[in-house]
Amino acid sequence: MSKYDWLLFLHMSGAFLLLGGGAVAGTLNIAALRRDRPSEIVVLFGLIRIAVAMILAGGILAFVFGLWLVADSPWNYSYGDGWVIAAIVLLLVANALGALGGRRDDRTAQLAKELAASGDAPSPELNALVRDPVSLALSYGSGLVLVALLAIMIWKPGA
Amino acid sequence: MLAAIRPDSWNLPLFLHVLGAILLFGTTATIAIVGFAGRSQPTYAPMLSRIAFRTFLFGIVPAFVLMRVGAGWIVDKEFSNNEPGWVGVGFVVSEPGAILLLVMGILAWVASRRQGVGKAALTVPILAGLYLIALVVAWWAMTTKPG
Repeated sequence: MSKYDWLLFLHMSGAFLLLGGGAVAGTLNIAALRRDRPSEIVVLFGLIRIAVAMILAGGILAFVFGLWLVADSPWNYSYGDGWVIAAIVLLLVANALGALGGRRDDRTAQLAKELAASGDAPSPELNALVRDPVSLALSYGSGLVLVALLAIMIWKPGA
Repeated sequence: MLAAIRPDSWNLPLFLHVLGAILLFGTTATIAIVGFAGRSQPTYAPMLSRIAFRTFLFGIVPAFVLMRVGAGWIVDKEFSNNEPGWVGVGFVVSEPGAILLLVMGILAWVASRRQGVGKAALTVPILAGLYLIALVVAWWAMTTKPG
């Protein structure tokens, strides 16, 4: 196997961790939407941290080895190609949306922890935060941007 | 970059195949995560076992179909007569892997019926972990194309 093959494998591993981690986070988030007890929401939001670690590791792998692949490509790709620039912009946008959504979710998790420690009774305030449309739009928007990024990687418009 | 330059007509099946494989990886990882969490936090095992079974039903099954249909479509276009060995690695993971997934789904159902306790609940995340390893082998073969 050539160096290029290994770079592609590591880049793809990053893509799997990045988008797969997004799928884990989305699945656990949907599960949290169906729960009312603060302690259960604490458990699910705690597990989402594993997904966040996957997303961060995957993002770094995909980015670093993606740039390396462009440099080592036998097809004369360049950092100035439109699809390469679009991919980098989409990765940054997805990160920004995910980070904003994650920050709001941290506040929700904190409230859930406090409520769990003081009787664990369902709370309308917590329910509203878990189902906050802005947080959901940011998190799921980030996932959709990543799917668009995958499409750009496959089609490579302009290459 | 996911592949070298290829005819445009290959892009949609490749996109569906890769998206399906990634979703399959993510949903299988979810089952492994909630399954092992259920073992370490028995209070929440009933909830986590239900999540595992629902993830199988509404996540793994459609993701597997998307991955497998995309795979068949792209193989038809790219190698209509003569499949190279690395394509076979993918089919080895997808076909016998489907049986493993089916067993995992049945056990996830049993575990959810038993409130997340018992041998079924222990076996589900282990099978999910094994399938994750098989998926890594498959994407290694698909990207490096050995031979």
